[in-house]
Amino acid sequence: MTATVPLRAEGVAPQATGPTLGARAVGGLLEPLIFIVIAMLVALAEYVVAGPIRDFPVSNFWLAFVLLALADAWTWPQSQTMMGTLTGQYIATTNGEAATPLVIAVRQLARFGVLYGVPVLALEFDLVWAVAIWLICGAIVWRTPGRRAPWDLVADTVPVTGIGAVGQVELPVLRSAADLQLDPRRTSQDAMAGRLMFLAGLVSVVISALIVWNIFREAWAFVAADEFSWGLLKGRGWFPRRGEFDVGTLLVGTLWVTGIAMLVAVPVGLGVAFYLSEYAPPRLRRFVKPLIETLASIPSVVIGFFAISFITPTVLSRLFDDIAFQSVLAAGVGVGVLTVPIIASISEDAMRAVPMELREASYGLGGRKVTTALRVVFPAALSGISAAIIVAISRAVGETMVVFIAAGLTGIFNTNPLDPGQTITGAMASLGAGTDEVAGSGIAFQSLYFLGAVLFTLTMLLNIVSDVIVRRFRQVY
Amino acid sequence: MHMTESEIRPITAAASTPVDDLEVLDEVFTVRDLNVYYADHRAVADVDLDVRERQITAFIGPSGCGKSTVLRCFNRMNDLIDIARVEGSVLYKGIDLYDPQVDPVAVRRRIGMVFQKPNPFPKSIYDNVAYGPRVGGMKGNLDDVVEQSLRSAGLWEEVKDRLGDSALGMSGGQQQRLCIARAIAVNPDVLLMDEPCSALDPIATGRIEELMKEIQSEYTIVIVTHNMQQAARVSDRTAFFTAELDEGTGQRRGKLVELDDTGTIFSNPADERTEAYVTGRFG
Amino acid sequence: MALTEPTTSSRRGIDFEALKARRGADIPGQIFYGVILAGVAVAFFMVGAVVWDVIDKSWVIVSDRFWNFLTSASSSDPAKAGVVQGIRGSLLIAGIVFLSFPIGISAAIYLEEYAEDNWASRLIQVTVRNLAGVPSIVYGLLGLAVFVQSLRGITGGSSVLAGGITIAVLVLPIVVITSAEAVRAVPASLREGAYGLGATKWEVIRTQIVPAAMPGILTGTVLAIGRALGEAAPLLVIGAVGWYTTGNNDFLDQLQGAFTALPMNITYFARDVAEIWSPHAAASSLVLLLLVFFVNLVAIVARARISKKLGR
Repeated sequence: MTATVPLRAEGVAPQATGPTLGARAVGGLLEPLIFIVIAMLVALAEYVVAGPIRDFPVSNFWLAFVLLALADAWTWPQSQTMMGTLTGQYIATTNGEAATPLVIAVRQLARFGVLYGVPVLALEFDLVWAVAIWLICGAIVWRTPGRRAPWDLVADTVPVTGIGAVGQVELPVLRSAADLQLDPRRTSQDAMAGRLMFLAGLVSVVISALIVWNIFREAWAFVAADEFSWGLLKGRGWFPRRGEFDVGTLLVGTLWVTGIAMLVAVPVGLGVAFYLSEYAPPRLRRFVKPLIETLASIPSVVIGFFAISFITPTVLSRLFDDIAFQSVLAAGVGVGVLTVPIIASISEDAMRAVPMELREASYGLGGRKVTTALRVVFPAALSGISAAIIVAISRAVGETMVVFIAAGLTGIFNTNPLDPGQTITGAMASLGAGTDEVAGSGIAFQSLYFLGAVLFTLTMLLNIVSDVIVRRFRQVY
Repeated sequence: MHMTESEIRPITAAASTPVDDLEVLDEVFTVRDLNVYYADHRAVADVDLDVRERQITAFIGPSGCGKSTVLRCFNRMNDLIDIARVEGSVLYKGIDLYDPQVDPVAVRRRIGMVFQKPNPFPKSIYDNVAYGPRVGGMKGNLDDVVEQSLRSAGLWEEVKDRLGDSALGMSGGQQQRLCIARAIAVNPDVLLMDEPCSALDPIATGRIEELMKEIQSEYTIVIVTHNMQQAARVSDRTAFFTAELDEGTGQRRGKLVELDDTGTIFSNPADERTEAYVTGRFG
Repeated sequence: MALTEPTTSSRRGIDFEALKARRGADIPGQIFYGVILAGVAVAFFMVGAVVWDVIDKSWVIVSDRFWNFLTSASSSDPAKAGVVQGIRGSLLIAGIVFLSFPIGISAAIYLEEYAEDNWASRLIQVTVRNLAGVPSIVYGLLGLAVFVQSLRGITGGSSVLAGGITIAVLVLPIVVITSAEAVRAVPASLREGAYGLGATKWEVIRTQIVPAAMPGILTGTVLAIGRALGEAAPLLVIGAVGWYTTGNNDFLDQLQGAFTALPMNITYFARDVAEIWSPHAAASSLVLLLLVFFVNLVAIVARARISKKLGR
């Protein structure tokens, strides 16, 4: 339903419709998020200035509220609000002029009052009621002439998509090289953007540094502690609270889980990869590929549940009579299921990268499909396939939740996959979950970081190896 | 650097004869000793030429002889290529375009470009044409500017009812005219066209050539073309480029052979290489 | 008597008939194809079995009181317990992760548009790729050491804020890598056209490159949210609880202090308590799966629509 709002004077272009509803909805959704961020920043500032705040006081809320409304009115050019710059809408009064910052501030206060203040004050921020109010406002916007919302009615404004051409920007007369310049605002925006992007890039470096620093520092504290001695690492089991830190137990468990996982994942993953790359007709491909992506999106906790709910009772119990409720085998199969998509997709990419000419040459020499697949495509894609397997191994070594749920986590040194066992990640999870989170409180807790260092180094080495394999042995055609 | 009146007067090249009615036109571009390097490879060597205002100047020659490279020096598009390096002087209305004080983005506002393959943005027709003005700081209602530009490009009647449609749905010829409208929308002085018709059919090509002659009175146009006949049809002056083999490095370098009135180039060229090319003996 | 036997085979001494017979059998080929198909079938079976098992084991709750399950809080009575706190926690974490996307996308833009080939940019690339391979529990250690400690003042230690930030850090490499790929795929002609009209680098990025790379960026961000919803290991280490034994937790209260999330609920139900809670583990798994699938679906639809608008 379109309706015009009569606008006088030439300053405002007559609008048949305001900005699209979709654009306004997007802006409306982003606002609460930004509001929460501002509120937290206010809380942070108060903490820094005045000490710890345990509650989420209403005063922070109102402060943020007013700040947001004022910031909206003051800082954005050309009678726009923060969201308006994203959605391309301007605020005009019904007199046909661009709204002044004061008018915009009033409008925004009314807007936040209705959208945030009423739910908080009157309804104590019940999420359901808040959503209901937002929906009601949306309906009002939809129905009112000119798409005016309640706060527009209060401030007597209307959102428009244009407020009259500001005119062709005047080009300066050219007298010298210095005149071939841009509007300084654009230049400074460009420079600022470049700097921000660089900072964003640095974030990952900072994170890496933080990880390495913290983990290895605490791991060092573990090794350097009074109670520690290297003999502890070769005990008869992993019982951190008793002071026994047999890393060997964990390594054996990790190896078993990873090995079983690969036994499951490599044949299935490679089978799928071969099928998708060499055999599948396009119609079937459109079914199978999403299937693999679905498998990849299943969270590991669900696989963990699946392991003790289905794999053990239904599959493994039939094969092995004396399998425990939680076992290394079950965890291994679960991790295998988890890593099938990794092997399948990376291998498939590697196989598809082999150029058609090689296959055609093989067929031309009388080779059959299986010959071509096994003796031409497979060797050509070997570096990629090896990389896939190593990435999958790295994932299996680092997988925690399946092990946590399905492997039993006993600390006894164990080489029987039918019994419960413990891996590096399982031990870490037990340590992390079982204690109160006060760091540095005892050697038992610090072993968590020691294991973290071991795990981090292990997976990093595996990733480096896979990179090297890809780079060194990749056949370039 | 303040240029006095007399210094801005055109420098007539020795080889060229003045235009019939003795109206001496201002030079828009004056190029001296232009060399363009891609890393260590010298792609264009020692080019001297001038481009006069409100004329259509054509660059012709076989492929690989640096025509596009020289063209792209006029609006500093070569800056976008990391390994490109420009030496020599390129004066635009007396101002050195490569002066460190000059902002290349400001240059491109005054010197627009149309590319070989039409490259409309994946937006509506309206938003394509309005893009330049919007980015240049114009706010609010751009309907007039858009209509004006589309009319100048001869596209208005065809698209006036579907300005909101995606530009990608148009034919190749229409898309190229849209690109021209887009370039005109910011009101530049110069329009550089890099083989604008090479991806189009003859009918679309004809329309664009017509368009060029129509807008010639408002813009200086420099066109790079592979099509000799197009240059003969459309341009006032023609520059013939060729590629030389550098004995030392074995690489090919572009050089300007001759720049003259179009009529002279095609009927009575001074250099025998020019004659060989225009008569079809090589190229 | 007419010749009924083909003469060619005997003429040249090559037994074509026998050759053809052998070709038709192609035993090794059939075996290989069979093995391949078996692999695909097993993959199908895996997905199907997971989905079927989750639905089957949770049917007891789903058929009876699914909505109640979604909106009830924790309780010691299995017949009344629900996962609303877990859902809220997961949504809060997803929201925090969402807020971190601009950083990842900006980093990708830096790598693709701004970075020159110097040691700084190569360092950033290498660290991003390495971070992508770090196990999620290690991120939990980072969260414990850094975010829990530094936010202790505002939020009382382990909180959904710390959890959310930790997981945001975890998925950052995914966002960076997929966004970088998307930006790289934007055709050069688009850039040239925009630069040619006198736009600054930032303007070209903001108005042309990012919109054109949107489908790829969307894919990456959705992958990230899907991952974020399913992660439990870091939360475990940070100190999320599996289960509240006291009643309803207010929305605002969740921003500081003890928190939970769906994967934690699943873990607790599956592992820590008696058999009677097994349907609850399945039901919360179902809720999580539905959430993840829904997010993926939204992205697929959005991606298709944007791609169409871009003419691809």
